[in-house]
Amino acid sequence: MKMFEPLEYIILALGMILVAIGAFCDLAGALGMVRFPNFFVRLHAATVGSIGGAVIPLIGVALIALVSDQLGFFKWAISGGALVAALIILLVAPAGSHALAYSAHKSRAVPVEPKVCDLLEEHERMKAERKVSEEGDET
Amino acid sequence: MDTSPILSIFLPAIFAVFLTSFTLYIVRIVKGPTVFDMALAVDCLAFDLAVFIALLSLYYDTPFLIAGAIALALWAYILDIYISKYFLTKELGGRK
Repeated sequence: MKMFEPLEYIILALGMILVAIGAFCDLAGALGMVRFPNFFVRLHAATVGSIGGAVIPLIGVALIALVSDQLGFFKWAISGGALVAALIILLVAPAGSHALAYSAHKSRAVPVEPKVCDLLEEHERMKAERKVSEEGDET
Repeated sequence: MDTSPILSIFLPAIFAVFLTSFTLYIVRIVKGPTVFDMALAVDCLAFDLAVFIALLSLYYDTPFLIAGAIALALWAYILDIYISKYFLTKELGGRK
């Protein structure tokens, strides 16, 4: 089956633009990872680097592979594999960084340094106080 | 359509950008004051390696490299989950 020729050029250009956007986001995320002051600020850079820098270029690779006829039949394998990897990263990266942030806050291994208000810590303290007062009522 | 003449110019430029960001992530892995910073940087490094392998499979015209990308994407998530579980409960696998 022969595809309409201008459509192939459009898909190739779209894929190359997506890969270029991904490279830029990756560089921005890496720079932020080095320059930002502490862990909770670096989470922002990590999310830019993983969603913008990994999901978007993988979709671009899938689009480029779709129109690369020099790959022969294997272009479908590369395109599908890249799409599956993009979907996995899209699901997995936010969950992983959220788990890391939650455990870093809960275990107090990282100080929450530029802090305006910390509702999670207040909630934990209120829960502990309520527990202490309930135990006091029982005795 | 034969895209190899375009890609042979386009992909090395992208490789340069990706290698620069790899070195910046490795700086954070080596310097990182806490384990969480290192884990976050290893996460980003693994996801970027997945992209890099996918681009390499386009560059070398081979489909066999793409299977490694899927495994790399899953591996970083397991690292996250283990580290957060260890720091929350101070043990792995058990119930507390």
